Amino acid sequence: MGKRVVKNQGLDRRTFLKVTGAASVSVMTSTFGVPTLLRAAPSTIKIGSVQPATGPLAVIGVGQRRGNQLAVDYINSKGGIQSLGGAKLELLLGDSESKPEIGRSEADRLIKEGAAVMTGPFQSGVALAISTLCEQRQVPFVMDVAALDKITEKGYKHTFRVFITVKGLLTGAVKYLKMVTDLKGVMPKRAVVTNTADAFGKGMSGGFVKFMEKSGLPIEIVDKVQYPLGIHDLSAEVARIKAAKPDILFPVSRPGDGIILARELYKQRVELMGIYGPGSPGWYEPDVIKDLDKLIYYVMINVPWINPHSTVYQQANAAFLKTHNKYLDTNSAYAYTGVLVIADALERAGSTEPDKVIAALRQTNYKDYPVVGDPIQFDEKGDNTGALTALIQVQPDPDPLKRVKIVAPKEFAQSDEIVFPAPNLWER
Amino acid sequence: MTRLYIFLASVFTVLMALPLVLDNYVLGIFVMIYFWAYVGQSWNVLTGYTGHISLGHALYIGIGAYTTTYLAQSFGLTPWVGMFIGGLIASVIGLLLGFLGFRFGIRGVYFVIMTIAFAEITRLIVSHIEAFGSFTGIFLDFDPSFSNFQFRGNVPYYYISFGLMIASLIAVRLIEMSKLGRFMVAIREDEEAAQALGVNTFKYNMIAIAISAFMTSLAGAFYANYIFYLHPNTMFGMATSIELILRPIIGGLGTIFGPVLGSFILTPLSEVSRAYFAKGGLEGLHLVLYGILAIFVVIFMPKGIIIYAQRLLEPIIRTKPGKAKS
Amino acid sequence: MDVTLALQLIVQGILLGGIYGLIALGLSLIFGVMGVINFAHGQLMVMAMYISYWIFVLLGIDPYLSLVVVCAAVFILGYLIQATVVNRILDYPEAMQVLPLVAMGLIIENTVLLLWGPDHRSPQTPFSLETFWIGPVMIDVSRLIAFSLAIVITAVIFVYLKKTNNGKRIRAASDNRTGAILVGINVDRINNTSFGLGAAATGAAGVLLLPLMPLSPHMGHDFTLTAFIVVILGGMGNLIGALVGGLILGVAESTSTLFLPATLKQVVSFTILVIIMLFRPQGLFVGKK
Repeated sequence: MGKRVVKNQGLDRRTFLKVTGAASVSVMTSTFGVPTLLRAAPSTIKIGSVQPATGPLAVIGVGQRRGNQLAVDYINSKGGIQSLGGAKLELLLGDSESKPEIGRSEADRLIKEGAAVMTGPFQSGVALAISTLCEQRQVPFVMDVAALDKITEKGYKHTFRVFITVKGLLTGAVKYLKMVTDLKGVMPKRAVVTNTADAFGKGMSGGFVKFMEKSGLPIEIVDKVQYPLGIHDLSAEVARIKAAKPDILFPVSRPGDGIILARELYKQRVELMGIYGPGSPGWYEPDVIKDLDKLIYYVMINVPWINPHSTVYQQANAAFLKTHNKYLDTNSAYAYTGVLVIADALERAGSTEPDKVIAALRQTNYKDYPVVGDPIQFDEKGDNTGALTALIQVQPDPDPLKRVKIVAPKEFAQSDEIVFPAPNLWER
Repeated sequence: MTRLYIFLASVFTVLMALPLVLDNYVLGIFVMIYFWAYVGQSWNVLTGYTGHISLGHALYIGIGAYTTTYLAQSFGLTPWVGMFIGGLIASVIGLLLGFLGFRFGIRGVYFVIMTIAFAEITRLIVSHIEAFGSFTGIFLDFDPSFSNFQFRGNVPYYYISFGLMIASLIAVRLIEMSKLGRFMVAIREDEEAAQALGVNTFKYNMIAIAISAFMTSLAGAFYANYIFYLHPNTMFGMATSIELILRPIIGGLGTIFGPVLGSFILTPLSEVSRAYFAKGGLEGLHLVLYGILAIFVVIFMPKGIIIYAQRLLEPIIRTKPGKAKS
Repeated sequence: MDVTLALQLIVQGILLGGIYGLIALGLSLIFGVMGVINFAHGQLMVMAMYISYWIFVLLGIDPYLSLVVVCAAVFILGYLIQATVVNRILDYPEAMQVLPLVAMGLIIENTVLLLWGPDHRSPQTPFSLETFWIGPVMIDVSRLIAFSLAIVITAVIFVYLKKTNNGKRIRAASDNRTGAILVGINVDRINNTSFGLGAAATGAAGVLLLPLMPLSPHMGHDFTLTAFIVVILGGMGNLIGALVGGLILGVAESTSTLFLPATLKQVVSFTILVIIMLFRPQGLFVGKK
């Protein structure tokens, strides 16, 4: 495809084009072309947050954004980043629409807008996309929530994860299961695992099955039922669960599933010793607790959770309540923590240069934060060695908002009592 | 016509030079403009020119993406070769669909639904095949090199997608001017009449869908190595199928520059509306506005925006009277 | 094979199928009269569900009781959509007709998202948890009510079309548009009414589904596709066919979980669709509208 060389015609046009071309070049260079690094020490430091603000996970995405913002406001109220002359943090918002390719594009946009560090994105798929991008653009990426192990197994040096990995989740799940069955002297024999058919659901349930096999617990997993993400009717699936005659159910679910599942189990009179979630949403959200009322009692979930005894939590929770009229839930609390960790690293780095920030992140030893866990330290893959899960159980209480209680580990527990086996759903 | 060519050449030069002055993010928008223009053009071959509406064209993007990736990850085959293998497979699937459709006389609305069914069935089946990543999807490793079809900045991607778009323009122009093209349009206008006049409509329908499928699947190969993530819901899903028809329809169905124009208008618009409307509390607003715009354009500019663009550029292009540009 | 399980699945399939039939009825009516595939069909259903939900939550009125009001509201919405958008595109080539309706669906879905947020909502209506047992087979009371009402509503629509003057005009317009214009029927108004009616039918199905499934802004799309399949099964424009097609599809989907993972349910539906289109495109039931 060659250009036609034109001798006499179109000279005017050529000049016109040249002039506009030159003009646009200069405009564009000044607006887009100046790299952040060449500017003087900034008076605001931009943190890019990509969350699933629209789409099926929007509830969580919006909560994450709020958590990120709350922490930014908190740090700024304390004077910003002292080592950078009191520079204030500014949160840039991106919406992944629950899709990795959009998450990636949004991250690129935020980086162009000057984000020095990226955070987010709740979904493991989006996290993988963004971590690849951040490696390409050489921008540190501190994930607040995303569990898939693979994300940190690519050897990317810009990726860090505050949340627990799937492996960590499963270790906790088996550990607490052993603890409960030991404590109560009751052992289920048959179990069914259910999961939503998405990356997290499949990864968690498949991993859980393997961990259970290696655990030495004499529980046989007699059926595995998988259903599409966003499903609205689980009657056929529950009929199948019932036919398998399980003693215990291990659901890996998404928001919304828990309600449908519980109601269907009730309707079809499925007899279970209990419902034990290896680690997934759908069972502890305030709406779920209110809607299901007695049906949700005694469900146990192994999950990263807020630390009600932490002063950081109490203060952040109060602020969150005031602004959003909602309690600070675990995902938003992790979003809050992510920003705290970033701010801490920036403070120690005294710079926004990626290499310095990464070096500072590697030295992290962060103690006071709003969720259950040991001090936050990053290993060579970027994973948080201090990440822990808690075992929570929904227990009767006149106030629905107080029903979720941490029952393990001991130092974070809110209740001494664990109920297992639980009375049948229809006998309450 | 010389003026038209000068105009096109000028635009071409400017676009070729843009990577020298634009940053990665803006270049990325252009990459997507060219990408969607190319895909829309590929779809245009079947729907705009031959008149068979496909609402499941994402099927071919998916085939291209998954084939290339699978061959690259399992056999180390460079996507530059893999994408043509993907193209062949896509053509075969397209021919299969075409055979069932055209032989059994499935037309109009029914053909549309059949294209949807094919895409959905493929989506669901691929979601269950572990080798293709099942529900997790496939995450491509970032290992930049020319043979891997992966690059660090956006500049190479810019030129590749630009090249694809230009190639599709040339291909469609060649088709337009050939016997094949004339028969395709005849089929679109009135298939039965064409048959009555002795045209082997079945043969030309099949050729059209094979070409369309092949071209579309190359885009899939590009996409896989640009976004680094494949998921059956995106690759074969209805959302993608709908996204890809927007630009040619709004730009101008059955015209060479329709898909390009449509993409230049819609893609940046989509990007901007998402960036500026999706701020806290207004999640979803940008999609509402997007929908309203689409309805507005279809109702008030049914032949596509290209008609207005042509009128606007009339003094510069000044085509001979009576020689329409589509 | 577990016979109890199979029976349970068949019963559930039949009951859900009645609702599928009602949704498809609306789609079929719209296609029969206007020749337009309503890609926003599922979203209209979702809108109805939200209206009914808010009436329940704010006024405490059970969905079954607010059914008529909700249908009226959706009827008006459908009427307006036809009047403002669809009437203008009736003569356009099919590719151009697809887009405005798809866009309409996008608008409705995201308006719902904007207004009421993305949360799943699962109201516990009085009948939500009621069941009774026939031997080992559990029957969901709300599912049974939904099924029965769906049949009743279908019958009502059928009678309306056959017996009333307006109904006859609708049928005339769908049979022969030019002829209808010639005999003085205000085809535009008939189109508006038909779309409204079709929307109301799917809206009714939505209200009936409310006690059974949680509500979220994005659930419409799947129901649109299901409606397509049922309509092809039963025959485009064939209303009784839509109902029976719904039952067939409901049972097929439900029993497929006996030997296929639940996530492949839709492959069964789509394969049925393709087979019908190849070998019996007019649908399983040759009949009048």
